[in-house]
Amino acid sequence: MKDVAFLAWRYLAYHRAKTATLVGSIALILFLPAGLNVLVDQSAEELTTRADKTPLLIGAKGSPLELVLSSLYFESRTPASIKFSDADRISDSRFAEAIPLYIRFRSRDYPIVGTSLEYFDFRGLEIASGRMMAILGECVIGAEAARDLEIGPGDFVTSSPEGVFDLGGVYPLRMSVAGVLAPSNSPDDRAIFADLKTTWIIEGFGHGHQDLASPEAASSVLSRKGNRITANAAVVQYNEITPENIDRFHFHGDLSSYPLSSVIAVPNSEKTRALLLGRYQDDDESQLVDPRLVMDELLETVLTVREYAIAAVAIAAFATLLTTTLVFLLSIRLRRRELDTMMKIGASRNTIASVLISEVAAVLLFAGILAGGLALAISRFGSAAIRALLLS
Amino acid sequence: MNTICRFLGAVSSIFALGCSADDPVRDQHPERSTRAPVIYSVNYPLAYFATRIVGEDANVVFPAPPNIDPADWNPTPNEIAAFQTADLILLNGPGHTRWVERASLPSRKVLDASASFRDRLIELQDEINHMHGPEGTHVHARTAKTTWLDPLLAIEQARAITDALIRIRPQHSDAFLERFAALEADLHELDARFTKAAEAIGDAPVLFSHPVYQYFERRYRVNGESVHWEPDAKPTPKMWRELAAIRSKHPAQLMVWEAAPREETILRLNSLGVSIVVLSPCANSPEGKDWYSVMLEGAEGLNEAGDQLLAGE
Repeated sequence: MKDVAFLAWRYLAYHRAKTATLVGSIALILFLPAGLNVLVDQSAEELTTRADKTPLLIGAKGSPLELVLSSLYFESRTPASIKFSDADRISDSRFAEAIPLYIRFRSRDYPIVGTSLEYFDFRGLEIASGRMMAILGECVIGAEAARDLEIGPGDFVTSSPEGVFDLGGVYPLRMSVAGVLAPSNSPDDRAIFADLKTTWIIEGFGHGHQDLASPEAASSVLSRKGNRITANAAVVQYNEITPENIDRFHFHGDLSSYPLSSVIAVPNSEKTRALLLGRYQDDDESQLVDPRLVMDELLETVLTVREYAIAAVAIAAFATLLTTTLVFLLSIRLRRRELDTMMKIGASRNTIASVLISEVAAVLLFAGILAGGLALAISRFGSAAIRALLLS
Repeated sequence: MNTICRFLGAVSSIFALGCSADDPVRDQHPERSTRAPVIYSVNYPLAYFATRIVGEDANVVFPAPPNIDPADWNPTPNEIAAFQTADLILLNGPGHTRWVERASLPSRKVLDASASFRDRLIELQDEINHMHGPEGTHVHARTAKTTWLDPLLAIEQARAITDALIRIRPQHSDAFLERFAALEADLHELDARFTKAAEAIGDAPVLFSHPVYQYFERRYRVNGESVHWEPDAKPTPKMWRELAAIRSKHPAQLMVWEAAPREETILRLNSLGVSIVVLSPCANSPEGKDWYSVMLEGAEGLNEAGDQLLAGE
């Protein structure tokens, strides 16, 4: 038996290119369905984990998926806005804690997330360097964004205009970086966080300008009547909030009517959760969604796609099996003289058959080991590798 | 097509994004519930009420520097960051501290102690409104800030603080309620003394050295007019002329000051037939005294001044 194994091994070692090709192709075809399964399962788990940890989301009527993707992953288009009073409505109900979100602006490719300090506690985000944002115009930045932009506490980021032709639109605001968050392996790593009011200033609901009563602003003043000062649009507005001009920043109108993209609601109990869901059932303007259910619906689609993919891989595997069989049969034909020589020097038919079977078995064994190794690696490091690929 | 591509891109991007290992729990720092709550206040009266309610273990921080009106104080970002670490942040309502509007504070820890009487806040009339660009006129209205000069409003503030403390430390609710009851009794006593003084003063015209006594004037129906004089500054001739003009229509014989004015100011006022009395709003911490003793001193002074006015009649 030892001599049979030796002959098979020497043959495979001598034809190493052919052996490697066979092992590689069989390994891949074995690995693909298993790897796909592992990857889809892991991704689904990670996707639903963030959704699981976000009990309820309130947003404007529209696509629930868009609302969830925007609020949890800062992807997708900005959904239609709701009002800040919608967050108050949740807080006032005492059914849940309301964490407002306004995700409309970007600095380069990084989303600017306007929110309250409760968000950081809720997501378990810690400051790695610097401190938490404290005043208007300050922001804290995710670990990946800080690394990519090569910035840290004391540096600045500037909001991007919404469009090239947005000349009359939002003013870019230069925000100072108060702190950098510790890595969390989540979309928060790529986000820039600012106070809600700072994002409202970017949008123009609040602004800072010269003191219209001061002599420097005289050229911008059209008229003064008692306490009323009318200025033209040329009045100097600040695009950076500094300790010197922060007193000049103010908001117009009622803050409760200002926009939010969504509100994360953290119910106090299962009962208040049910009550809250009931309250929004017939709401014409806003919707209350359970992110987990929305993501489950998305995953159902993804899982259907996976089944098709696995079916396709199974067909490919069958074709590969036939091709491999053909390769072995052709190989026997090409080795006719070699096999004749073996018979002439005394090898029995059984021995020759054993050598050939051993060669096939060895190839299949190596392919199986390689496929198993790949599957193990993907289950161990798959999500981290994909995260690194997508976050880089 | 673009929308579909964007959607698929978004789905594929988020598909492998990881998640943090956090839980949506309400209190992520359970150890906090066993120690004395850390309370930050934007003014001294609220800090005083909180100290009285929490008792000996009180960890009440009022970080504004002395000799400054806390309403005019602008804390640095680092000082605001210290506020963020508190278990409870006491605000005195929308008109008191403007820096709060420009600060990031954790809303779940913030208590507007004046929320229960928001409809009774006194709006100031002298705010500048302005108009620029297409947005139309806007006015940055403020409300009077010294709410605690009406002891009944002060009781409501103290009650709001008690309720908030009970929410964060329910195990100490009995002690909080007991101390609140004592504070409430003191505030009723103060109200009684102010009422007695106000009755003695009656409809007699009174001058106030600063426009900070709105709630006091309203509560005790004082026939008052305010000027804008600083105790440590020498009034200019223009200010004396303005005072004379006011007194021609409002012949006050009593002027209420935030702090004792300069000796020469007192002498000149006395020569005009105006006596002075000090009723400090006590927005900042007094040296060697507390808010209640300062208020009692003010009530005592007003009482004596009222008696003198009665004797003069």
